[in-house]
Amino acid sequence: MTIPVSTETLDLAAKFPGIVTPDEREGYSGWIVKADELAAFAASLRDDLGYDFLSSVTGVDYLPEKKLEVVYHVYKTTGGPGLVFKVQLPRKKPEVPSLTPVYPGADFQEREAWDLLGIKFTGHPDLRRILMWEGFEGHPLRKDWKEPFYEEDIKPYSSRWPEGKHSYAEDRNPFNDNVQFPKQFDPEKWVPEGDAALYGALAEYRTTDEDGLDTDHIVVNMGPQHPSTHGVFRAVITLDGEDIVSMKPVMGYLHRNHEKIGERNTYLHNMPYTDRLDYFCSMTNNHGYALAVEKLTGIEVPERTEYIRVIMDELTRIQNHFILIGMLLNDLGAYFTPALYAFEERELILDIFEAVAGSRMMCNYFRFGGVARDVTPEILEKVSALAFDRLPRKADEFDRLLTENEILVSRCKGVGRLSSEDAIKYSMSGPSLRASGVPYDIRKADPYSIYDRFDFDVAVRYNGDTYDRYLIRLDEIRQSLRILQQAIRQIPEGPIQTGKSTYLTKTPAGESYGRIEAPKGELGYYLVSNGTGNPWRYHVRAPSFINITALESMVVGGKIADFVIVFGGIDVVLGEMDR
Amino acid sequence: MIDLALVLEWVIKSLVVIFMLLGGFAYLTWFERRILARMQTRVGPNRAGWQGLLQPVADAVKLVFKEELIPARADKVIFVLAPILTVVPATVLAVVIPFGTQVILFGRQVNLAVADINVGILFLMAVASVAVYGIVLAGWSSNNKFALMGGMRSTAQMISYELALGLSFVLVALMADSLQLSEIVEAQRTMWFVVLQPVGAIVFLIVTLAEVNRAPFDMPEAEQELAAGFHSEYSGMKFALFFMAEYQKMIVISIIAVTLFFGGYLGPFIGRFPWLGPVYVLGKVVALLFGMVWIRATLPRIRYDRLMDLGWKVLLPLVLGLVLITATGILLADEFGNSLVWSIPVVSILAGFLTVGLVDRSLRRKFNALR
Amino acid sequence: MTAEQIIQQILFFISAALTLGSAVMVVATRKLIQAALWLIVSLFGVAVLYALLDASFLVVVQVVVYIGAIAILFIFAVMLTQRDQRDKGPQLNKSWVLAALVGLATFGGLTFLVSSWTGFGAAAAPIPAGTVDMVADLGTALVSVDQYVLPFEVASVLLLAALIGAIYVAYNRK
Repeated sequence: MTIPVSTETLDLAAKFPGIVTPDEREGYSGWIVKADELAAFAASLRDDLGYDFLSSVTGVDYLPEKKLEVVYHVYKTTGGPGLVFKVQLPRKKPEVPSLTPVYPGADFQEREAWDLLGIKFTGHPDLRRILMWEGFEGHPLRKDWKEPFYEEDIKPYSSRWPEGKHSYAEDRNPFNDNVQFPKQFDPEKWVPEGDAALYGALAEYRTTDEDGLDTDHIVVNMGPQHPSTHGVFRAVITLDGEDIVSMKPVMGYLHRNHEKIGERNTYLHNMPYTDRLDYFCSMTNNHGYALAVEKLTGIEVPERTEYIRVIMDELTRIQNHFILIGMLLNDLGAYFTPALYAFEERELILDIFEAVAGSRMMCNYFRFGGVARDVTPEILEKVSALAFDRLPRKADEFDRLLTENEILVSRCKGVGRLSSEDAIKYSMSGPSLRASGVPYDIRKADPYSIYDRFDFDVAVRYNGDTYDRYLIRLDEIRQSLRILQQAIRQIPEGPIQTGKSTYLTKTPAGESYGRIEAPKGELGYYLVSNGTGNPWRYHVRAPSFINITALESMVVGGKIADFVIVFGGIDVVLGEMDR
Repeated sequence: MIDLALVLEWVIKSLVVIFMLLGGFAYLTWFERRILARMQTRVGPNRAGWQGLLQPVADAVKLVFKEELIPARADKVIFVLAPILTVVPATVLAVVIPFGTQVILFGRQVNLAVADINVGILFLMAVASVAVYGIVLAGWSSNNKFALMGGMRSTAQMISYELALGLSFVLVALMADSLQLSEIVEAQRTMWFVVLQPVGAIVFLIVTLAEVNRAPFDMPEAEQELAAGFHSEYSGMKFALFFMAEYQKMIVISIIAVTLFFGGYLGPFIGRFPWLGPVYVLGKVVALLFGMVWIRATLPRIRYDRLMDLGWKVLLPLVLGLVLITATGILLADEFGNSLVWSIPVVSILAGFLTVGLVDRSLRRKFNALR
Repeated sequence: MTAEQIIQQILFFISAALTLGSAVMVVATRKLIQAALWLIVSLFGVAVLYALLDASFLVVVQVVVYIGAIAILFIFAVMLTQRDQRDKGPQLNKSWVLAALVGLATFGGLTFLVSSWTGFGAAAAPIPAGTVDMVADLGTALVSVDQYVLPFEVASVLLLAALIGAIYVAYNRK
């Protein structure tokens, strides 16, 4: 079992009298902070108590209580359990001071909370919508917001076949399309304010040299259709010749409001949806979600299942890192050869996923308190052939072929540097954080599942440049192989499921935050249950999304060619970033 | 009076060269894709025809029938002109190359070169310098920032590398004591210039990669940064022309490299069977092309500013030094006996090692400064 | 006149017309990039004229230096400026009539003087093919002590000075 998010023995209420009160609702933990004093409280948390890593910021709409709640999860990068604090706001006028001065990593998450829940963060430097488009009406995660094709609040719907007759959702929608916008709004004549604001912010960058010569800059839109943004990411870049003067990320092109979908599904319904977040790593996505639900409901996980989960997680990590190295080399301009070498290994790992889960990419393998199918001895044999023989050999081969390559070294060393202070500040997580010299790995720092049983090292590199971000992937592959080898040796016989796999039609009311060390960084799931079979609030703390908060500071001053590899080195997947 | 038979001979020879380049282009794409596939643990095109040999035909048919788009507010005339301006120099380059000595065909002595002019090397320089226009104009006229940046990059790149290219031509001209390509080949009867000028040959091969925008110097079309660079906006046959120009240039530049450094049409029994000349040229060219494909499959791209550094700060001084070494070596050989000609390769290899060492040192310093 | 000469004449007229016509277009067109392109056509016409004179070395130098280097720098500069930079003012000013008259008079005077020169009537002596290596002659002339070595070296020193000056101006002291 995991160590629950606890508050240790800290009595914050005594430390901040009148500002902080303990959250005493049934199933809840943490502290409730007064909105006015939030910034001072957070600064004190960071500076005096050492909670320097802001993991997650999100909001919950408690419609029956007419309240909006902002939930913060903070951790220490030295390890140990975290701390939850909340701010409760009136639903009418939800305003809370922004935490970006204290934790710059809150930037995108606050924008997301504004976008989806309409919580206004005063003092935020650039509070624009981030996932939805600028002309969008309303805030979709509010419980009283109904979309154009609205049928019912929760699945399974009964309206699909009322009295045996079906009707088309689009017939019920006044707009005849799956969009809605304010009245008196004409999309044809719409000038996107957001774009104006975006370009307006960039236009400030104009330089005049000492002779009074004015230099114009070129604004280049990299993406949303661009070969090296790994999807539909868009970066608006101002260039002075080939040098990047400023960069603003624009995302949301793949947004499907995963969280709203999750709130409608029953708990088990939602498992396959998590596959689609980071579609390279469906196993770890499943794990994080299963962890959060198990925490919420207190379901125990059998021994053998924990081992299977660890094996699948580490295989996922290995294939993810292989692909990352291959695609990074592709971004460097090596014409697909490293990428295809990496894909060869990945295919072998996907063979195993297919054997256990029936699907190669969208595995949908984890269940609450178990996994879908047992791992047969034949499959285990295949895994051990990979873990003991082929993959270590291939990791060495990649090392031998790439690490010393002059072009790779000269293009990656010193490019996109991020100091360890900045990495923590911007809530960077995963390999990119560790490449900046912060040995913070949730598997060690706040162990979940059975990671405390294995003997492995936290890979860490100290320069924080793209070369180190490349090297750390190789290191992590090797560490994952160590875990894998131990897990294969130790895996016991036994049941793979506690009780029966059910829909969980009833859950205890309360909240839970399950987080794991996904290949791309800290993947967290925040769940709020009101006792029914559907989550009241379901939030994903996506590493891809939060890790690019630091992107701007990493690329400004570099060349346009560097942007591509810095972005590639952070390792993002748009399915997860845009959700 | 104009000899009608001579005119006919020229026309036929020109047509042969043009068709050779066209066919060569088509099958070079197939060759490259198959080789790349082998190197990348793939299979490559093998469906159209035996071993995929009809793939180029299928591609051509596809490209012909594709819609030709001209972007709004593009400069239409220049936009259409640019691909043509790219293909013409790539084709014209081949006319001065000797593919053999002389053969008797239909009772005529036929020279196996379209035009063996006495300033052959300079002609190559001239046409190569014109070749950049197509790319520049394509980049400018597309009304696209990526295309513009690709065009600007290629201009700067080609101008920079033309210097080193011209100077490596000088090396060969010095060795052969002539600017005429057939005489250069004949001068290699005793020894190929690649042996006498090893470093010069390496510089030449590096520079030609940059001149034809091949990996790892494919800046103008750097896919990861500039989408497709100067031809981002081109489609259909206009795109095919750019593609064709690139591959034709690859072929022609390989032929030039073969002529200048690898003994051209020379090979065993060439004296007895002059028609072996073209066969030898073909074999050597295929070997060089294989090398180019191999490099593409292996190396990542150099960053643009480093590319300029390499051209100006490394290759140019090195090749200037090589010119000095070669000239001195030739003078010494003239004065004190022919065997002193071997001082050229010895000293130039030393110069090459010195250069590599200096570059290595400066890179090391740069990285150490980062720590 | 032989057929060869007739063809040469025709080629001469075509290329001369091309050179002059495009030279006019250079100053007449309003778009900067098109002016640069017409200039290239004009330079190319000159190269053809050299070719007709059997001056193969000059042809190549004309193409390498003027078309391949100088004109490309023009285009480079044009590309770096704003896209729709075109001459919006009138093409002619008040005194264009006067200028045209002066130009015509000069042209007429020159034509009159030149028409009385007998050199046009004489056919150029054909260059004996194969016996003289003109490129080699040119090369020797440039470096031999009793011919042009001094101007050649002076020119190269001048260019070197210009090069150093350019680097000094462009050098970023930071």
